[in-house]
Order: sequence, then C-alpha cells, then structure tokens
Amino acid sequence: MFKKIPLLQELKKDTWVKPFLKKYKKTLVLAIFLGILTFFCAGALMFNSGYLISRSATRPENILLVYVPIVLTRAFGVGRPVFHYLERLTSHNWVFKMTSDLRVKLYKALEKDAVFFKSKYQLGDVLGLLSEDINHIQNLYLRTIFPTFVAWGLYVFIVIGVGIFSIWMGLLMLLMIGIMLVAFPIWSVIVNGARQEYEKKIKNELYLDLTDNIVGITDWIFAQRGRDYVKLHEQNEEKLIDVQEKLHHFDQIRDYLLQLVFMLVVVSLILWGGTYLGGSNGVYTGLANWIAAFVLCLFPVVDAFAVIPAASQETNVYKDSLVRLNRLQDNSFEEEKSEIKLIAPYDIKLDNVHFRYENGSREILKGINLDISSGDKLAILGRSGSGKSTLANLIRGDRVATEGTITINDIDVSKVGDQISNYIGVIHQTPYLFNTTILNNLRIGNEEATIEQVWQVLERVGLKDMVKALPQGLETMVDEAGMRFSGGERHRMALARILLKDAPIIILDEPTVGLDPLTEQEVISIFNRELKDKTLIWITHHLQGVEAMDQVIFIEDGTIEMQGSPDYLRKTNERYQKLKAIDEGR
Amino acid sequence: MFDKGLLTLTDIKKTMRGLVGLYILQAFLIVGQAVSLGLVITHLWNGKPLKEQFIYIIGFMISFAGREGLQWWSNRWLDDYARVEAKKLRKTLLEKVFILGPELVQKQGTGHMVTLTLDGISEVEDYIQLTLSKMISMMIVPIVVLAMAFYLDWVSGVILFFIYPLIVLFMIILGYAAKAKADKQFVSFQRLSNHFIDSLRGIDTLKYFGLSKRYANSIYKTSERFRKTTMSVLRVAILSTFALDFFTTLSIAVVAVFLGLRLINGEITLFPALTVLILSPEYFLPIRAFANDYHATLNGKNSFHSIQEIINSAEVKESKLELHQWQPTDSLKLDNIEFAYDDNAEPVKFNTEFTGYQKVGIIGMSGAGKTTLINLLSGFLPLKNGKFEIQGKETTDLNEDAWRNQIIYIPQSPYIFDNTLRYNIAFHTPDASDEEIIEAIKAVGLEDLLEELPDKLDTLIGNGQRTLSGGQAQRIALARAFLDKQRKVLIFDEPTAHLDIETELELKERMLPLMKDRLVIFATHRLHWMKDMDKIVVLKDGKIAEEGQYDELLAHQAYFYELLNRAKGGEKNV
Repeated sequence: MFKKIPLLQELKKDTWVKPFLKKYKKTLVLAIFLGILTFFCAGALMFNSGYLISRSATRPENILLVYVPIVLTRAFGVGRPVFHYLERLTSHNWVFKMTSDLRVKLYKALEKDAVFFKSKYQLGDVLGLLSEDINHIQNLYLRTIFPTFVAWGLYVFIVIGVGIFSIWMGLLMLLMIGIMLVAFPIWSVIVNGARQEYEKKIKNELYLDLTDNIVGITDWIFAQRGRDYVKLHEQNEEKLIDVQEKLHHFDQIRDYLLQLVFMLVVVSLILWGGTYLGGSNGVYTGLANWIAAFVLCLFPVVDAFAVIPAASQETNVYKDSLVRLNRLQDNSFEEEKSEIKLIAPYDIKLDNVHFRYENGSREILKGINLDISSGDKLAILGRSGSGKSTLANLIRGDRVATEGTITINDIDVSKVGDQISNYIGVIHQTPYLFNTTILNNLRIGNEEATIEQVWQVLERVGLKDMVKALPQGLETMVDEAGMRFSGGERHRMALARILLKDAPIIILDEPTVGLDPLTEQEVISIFNRELKDKTLIWITHHLQGVEAMDQVIFIEDGTIEMQGSPDYLRKTNERYQKLKAIDEGR
Repeated sequence: MFDKGLLTLTDIKKTMRGLVGLYILQAFLIVGQAVSLGLVITHLWNGKPLKEQFIYIIGFMISFAGREGLQWWSNRWLDDYARVEAKKLRKTLLEKVFILGPELVQKQGTGHMVTLTLDGISEVEDYIQLTLSKMISMMIVPIVVLAMAFYLDWVSGVILFFIYPLIVLFMIILGYAAKAKADKQFVSFQRLSNHFIDSLRGIDTLKYFGLSKRYANSIYKTSERFRKTTMSVLRVAILSTFALDFFTTLSIAVVAVFLGLRLINGEITLFPALTVLILSPEYFLPIRAFANDYHATLNGKNSFHSIQEIINSAEVKESKLELHQWQPTDSLKLDNIEFAYDDNAEPVKFNTEFTGYQKVGIIGMSGAGKTTLINLLSGFLPLKNGKFEIQGKETTDLNEDAWRNQIIYIPQSPYIFDNTLRYNIAFHTPDASDEEIIEAIKAVGLEDLLEELPDKLDTLIGNGQRTLSGGQAQRIALARAFLDKQRKVLIFDEPTAHLDIETELELKERMLPLMKDRLVIFATHRLHWMKDMDKIVVLKDGKIAEEGQYDELLAHQAYFYELLNRAKGGEKNV
C-alpha cells in the first residue's frame, strides 16, 4: 500500500531532506513540541471551561473551590496564542536554517560543471527551477511534515489520556482518530495522486505550449490565425478543467466525511459520558462535572487532524522537486590548495587532441596540433558547432581530451585545477554582471584591488567618464532602473575585470556576436590595445578585426582546415578572400 | 473592502443572494448544534438517564451533519461557479492577446503573459471562491450567533459584541506595523533573496576567476543574513495572527469565568451558560477563516485586476482598408510618419516611398531605428504624426488585415513551433501538399535536415524536441515564404545578424531568388547585402540620413560611405 505513495518511495534514497532532520534536531523537536502545546492549550481551555461551568452550577459555597479552574482557564486562554506564535517562529527559523544548508549543497553540486552548465541544460530556466525546488522543500516541511508530527503527537496524547479513564474508550479513540490520520490520507493520496500527476502533466504541457505560441505570436498574426489558436488552447485547457473538477469534488467529499467521523467521536464521548459519568435516576454525582469537559475539549483539536489528508496529498507535488535534486551529483569540496606553479613564459601545446562527448557518437575534434607561444595572437574561426568553444574548454582544462595532450610549459592543464584562473582568463559572448555594485563586479577580478586600480582599468576600457557621471559612482548597482549596460559596455566591464585579474593568457569566446559592425570594431580595438602584452586566443565566426592577429586557423569537421597569418591567407587563399570581402561589405 | 471588480462577473448578484440564504440556514444549524449539545450535557449533568437523550443527540447529529453538508454544498457550488467564470475570463484574455499581438506581449513580457493566463487565472478562481464564501459567512454567521448569545445571556453577549471591533482594530494596526517594517527592509530583503539565483547564474564567471569554491561560504553567509532579516520581519508580521488568536481565546476564557461566577451566585442556570460557551468559538470562526485565507487571496486579487486592465485597455481595431494583391505598379508612401515610445523621447521620423517589386535595404547601426520602422510597417505600432499612403489610400496605421495577409515576415530568429516539420513549413499554407512542401525544402536547401529526421516531414522539431541551428530555422522561414506565392511583400528584420559568415553566405544564395517579383524590405547592419538592393535607406539616430542606390551613395561619400570604411576597421578607430 505504501508503495503507491510516491513521496515515500523517493524519500528512501533521498539525500536532501532526511539528513537535515537530524541536523538541528533540538530546534525541530522544540517546534513540534510547541505545535502540540498550542492545540493542547486550545483543547484544555474548552475542557477546563466545561468543567468550571459545570462545577459552578453545583453552587459551591466557597469560590475557592473553583479557584484553580478559573486560573487555569485564563492560563490556557493566554497559552494558546503564545505557543502558536512561538511555534511559527521556531518552525520558520528552523526551515530557513536548513535552507541555507540546502543552498550551499545545491551550489556545490552545480559548481562542478559550472563552465558548461549552460550548454548542458539548454532547455528552459533550469537554474530557476532548481532554486524553486528548494522553496518546495521548505513548504514540504512547513505544510506537511510539521503538521503531521503535531497531529500524531496529539493523537497519542488523546488516546492515552482517554485510555486512563477507560481502556475501551481509549481503543475507540485509537480507531476513530486513526481513521482520520491514516485511512483518510492514504485514501486521498491513492485516489487523487494519479489525478494530481495527470494535472501536473497537463499543466506543464499547457505552459510549454502557450509559451511556445506567445513567442511565435507574430507568425499567428501574420497568418491571421489567432482565433484558431485560442480555440485550440481552450480545447487543451478543457482536459485540465476536467481533472481539476474531479480533484476538487473529491477533496470536498473527503473533508465532509472527515467531519462526520469527528461527529461520531463527539457522539461516542457523549454516550460514554452519559453512561459512566452521569448520575442515574436523578441522583447527582460529582463525576458529572466532567461530561462537558470531555465532550467540548475535542472541538478545537479537530483542526489539527482535518488538515492532514490534504497535506499528505500535497506531497505528490513535491516529489518532482526531490527527484530533480536527488539526481544531481553530490559534490562536496573544500577549498583546494594546488602546489602547481607555472613560470613565465607560458607556452601552450596541443598534441593530437581528440574529443568526443561522453555520450556522443560524433567525434568533435579529430587530432588538433597547435603551438601557442607566449604573446601569440591566435584567431580560431569556424562555423557554429565546429568545436571552437570545446577547444577553449579543453585549453582551460575544464574538459579533458579523449586522446592526445594539452600542456602549458609541459604541465597537463587538466591537472592544474582552479589555479588555472591565474593563468587563463575568459571573456565570452554574454559576460555576466552580478546584481551588485559596479565596484563588487570589478573586484571579482581581484578582491584586493584598490579604488585607484579600479578607476585605472575603467579608464583603460573607456568607461571611466560614464561611471564618474553616475550619482553613486562605483557604488551604483548594475541593474538599477535606468542604468542598464548596453552590449558594448558589458564587454568593456568584462574586460576591466580581466585586466584586474591580470592573467597572462586570455581566451575570447565569440565576444562580439550580435553587435553591429561599428560597436564590434570598437570593442575589438580596445581588446587588442589593452591585451597586447598577453597571449590571446580569439574564437570568432567572422573575419572582422582579424588582421590584428598573428595567426588564423579555420576549424572544419574537427580538423584544422586552413592555417597561416592573415597576410598570408589574404594573398594565397581564395576562400579567405571571399569571406573577408563580405565582411567588409563589398 | 469589497472588490468592485467582482461585480463584473456574470450572475454575481444572484450568486451572492444564494450564498446569503445558505449562510443564514447554516447559522441556524450552528445554533441548533450548540443548543442540542447544551441540552444533552445539562440533562446528563442533572442525572437524567441517557435513554431520554437520544432525541437531542439525534438533533445534534442532524445539525452538525447539516451544517457541514451546507458547507460542502456551498463550496462545491462556488467552486463550479468560479471555474466557469475563470474559463470565460481566460478566453477573453487570450483572444485579446492573439489579436493585439506583439505590442502587448512586448509590454508585458512573454513570461508574465503566460503566467497570467495560466497561474493568474487559477489564482483568480481561488480568489472568487474564497472571497465570496468567507466574506459572506463573516457578515452573517456572527450576527445570528451573537443574537442567540444575547437571548441566552446578555452579559456574555455584551462581552462578545465588544471584543469583535477590538480584534479588527488590532489586526489593522499590527498589519500596518508589519508592512512598515517590511517596507523598511524591502531593498536589502530583495537583494538577499535574489542573491542565490544570481550566484547560480554567474557560477561560470566565478569559476573562470577561480572564486567558485570559496564562494560557497558567501552563499551560506548571505542566506543566514536573509534568514535573520526575514525572521525580524516575521516576528512583527505574525503578530496580527497572534492578536486574533489572543483575543478570541481570551474572550472565551473571560466568558467562561464570568459564567462560572454568575452560576455560583445563581444568576444563571447551566443550560444557557453551557450553550453560550459552545457558541462563542463559533462566533469567531468566520473571521479566523477569513484572516487565514486573506493572504492567499491577495495574489488572486492582483491578477484579477491586471487581467481586467488588459481586457479593458485597448480596443480591438476594425480593419477597414480594402487592398488588392501587391502589383508592380503599387506604392507605399511614408508621409512624414513619426513615432515615439514615450512622450519625452525624441520621436523617430521617416519620409520615403516604396514602389512595386523594389528591393529596399534598410541599413543602420544599433539604435538607429530599424526595428521601429519594421514594427511600423507591420502595423504593430500606432503613428504619432503623419500618414501612410498605400495603393493610393491613406491610413494612420498599418494594423490592417488586408495588408498583413500580403506580408511574409522573417525576423532574426524565426520562431519554430514545437510541432512537426510539415506544420512549421506550411504554417501560412496549411493546405500545401507534400510535393509542394518537399519542393520548398529543396529550394531553401533543407534536404540534409529532412534526410536526417527519422520520421521525415512528421518529425517533431522545436525547442522541446530537436533544436535546430540558427541557419536551419532561417531556412524554414524561407520555405514558408517559398510556399506562399500569394504574399508579395517580404519583410526581413536582421535575418543573419547572429549567423556565422559562411552560413550567411549560403543563405544569401537561397534568399535572393525568393526576393524576385516581390516588394522586399530588408533591415540589417550587415553591409554586403546592400549591393543586391534596388534602393538603400540609411538610418541614423531615428532619421533617414540618406537614400539611393549603392553606387550613388558611394559617390556621395557621406554617412553610408563612412560606415563602409569604418566597418573595414579603417581610419576612424577609437
């Protein structure tokens, strides 16, 4: 039976939820305890009030006889809101604490493949999805796990409490509340689980479909078929509406039946009270004062039980998040300390390099031989998909060649580890600017850079005047309204960062795609001027600015198809001449 | 407090009247439940035999089951009502979107538009249901319960009566306090909460700078700071729930104690006392339920309003121009047209004419106004000043069916639907035969792709399935143009800007034949295309800098000439 509950299946091999239950155990126990106390006080308030009123109705001569119940009534009345407040604070605090750990765990898992992450997961916003998954786990705790523990705690308390007075009544409670806490949730998950799965699937499809067609809306409008699409969407939506209707109707009936079970609990308490506590034949016994107490005390407590079936059912929604997170490879690390130290001049050597993706059938690179000496300027040309960027990843050691070797000063680059960033810097197509100040963004290049150094590099890339003109200067947030960097400016920022880092070898990975020819020419000129003392590896898909390079290679079908200085190629190579002419607009 | 927007729903008044009836009935059942329970307990306390109580116990059961049954029924009824209303709303919204088109989507953003249509509408559904049921029950049930309390014992009635406004008052005060606190922390709050996703997005940059491992600590620290900030806001925010809780339980306690004292003095008997005690939690139940769902309904309310705004905003314009298929003798005149995205910006101004099967190149650098001109020609933007003259007829915008169904529009990245290759190619001409489609595939050089696909024309392509390269997507757009021989106007918007140079060259060979016998408007910043154009319009800063044929412009030695030189990396470097 439990096999049908997807979340339980997933939790078996989970490394994202269970370990954290053990960490911060004390706070967790405290939160659950406070939750139980909240409902205990609510029940006790009614219990006590029922007793107080019944006892008072016997008109005791001395008010001191009901003094204790009077004090307790007030205490429980205040206790319930206070414990409730504390419980919410404690549980939220606990969940946020755990979130911090989860985030680090997620970050570490992603760090491993950071460089080609974006190409690995092309579809959609996987990063957004993963960070959303962590929020889902938060909800799993707050909305399912905590209330379930609390309800079970109360369940045990009630069964024992009633059992002390009467074993049979205790057993009856065990059965009836058990129906609410076990049978209803399981029934719910099983019946509605499949529906929920289906609902999620359709919702997802609708989401993709609608995004797809809204992105392509211009085509619908030019084809003048907009109404066709609306009709189509309505049809698809109908399936969703259908299943949601069933889901809701089920929920409503279930909640009603649960209330009826509760009604039976109350009635059985009345019958029990009437039989064992009530007087007989008009004879009053002191025990009768307890009838009202027992009957009334459960009314507030049912709230703790009534939410459990819906909460259990909701777990189906969290399952996907857990699956996705658990599929990530764990990657725990400490900051590494590499002993490898390279000494200038830096000579890169590629010797018969082959590369094929782990699961790919096609060999991307088929034997590349290349020497890049210190200070060389090399342009790598090729069509998209020809393996240019893969080559850059290989040189930085982020990927390992399937055959052949890549070395800097005879040391295998893949062995250098994170230290490689001291030797090789990268600027790629869309330089990422973090949502923080300009200063912080630049200091990513060198955390110890002084303000003077920062202004210096800004001057070198031609952004000094623009930043100076901002009211908050270097402290301006890069994303703040009205202050967005244009394409060209982003590249200059990236360059400034690289200049602060001052690595001797720079890889430019198609940095100017999509810029118009004038902006592109400006960016290239600045790159050439500022990086003239460094080794430059420039990956590009057209020939603008290529004259400033010492050497040009064309990669096609995984091999070097054409190689030589720009001057040489312009004189001898017909294909080069043709492409060059087009780039110049001739 | 009541949202007037709700009044626009169909049959809303009837629905509300029905609900009022239901909740009055329910309130009486609640009273019945309390009275019967009070009677049973009092009788048992008095030592009357259990046997005689069955009638009251059955009364209790009927009241209880009836009250919950009404709840079930009203939930179900409202749920169905909300679903139908939401469906209508969605249909109206979608129709608006697919008629108004890109301008609306651009303004709202694709993501927002999709979320609004799907999630937004279901939030509205919840909003309709929760607001109607909770609000009406809050207005009815407490009144009936209070009346009964007064009838049974006026002292308790007074206590209950005065506590209610106190609760509302405190909740409002604390709500404002929480909001003030949250507002004060909003900026740092926002920044901290986005920090994590920001770090994930920039993780490759961190790695390139060798910072990625060390950064894990920063993630933890920021997250902990976020926790502390959130908790400090939360401490105030949940005070309003605390106030509600506090006053309800405390007033129950006070009622109980007062009843107890007066019972001792013999001022009241057990039955009314017990019944009032049972009733007092019921008195507060509706406001607690309302407060519980209040935050959940806020999103729905906001979505409801943004959707209504979109629906009510732009009127769908009737097409009125009658145009014939574009002929070699036709002309389209842009008579001093002006447009600005907002009132403060300097408007773009164009004055030129396109005739017959001319090939017109629109050249200019980023920000020169190419895209704006293309959008004006496609009818997606309204003019601020000036007019168009098309086939001798005047109009102030080109949002006309008769014009649009002559156009084939090819953007920088043509959109490939998640559907079959056939569907994508025959998008404008759904009735095209396989032979015609294959002919089009050959004409644009997609034979290789067709060979590669397992199910040939029926293979699913697009983002979800099989991503095509930029060049392949362009070829599919060209194939659409090839199939549709009726449409005589071709508009290109930077079709090759992001392609590698050799792919661009191959595409050019396929594009030129398609341009024959059509009016072509070709916007680009790639200069080599200009040699194949009959007329070149050179844009600079939102105006036409010069226009004419390639050789004429070269001879001028003005802006176009300068562009050519600078693109070569020539004299004018930075």
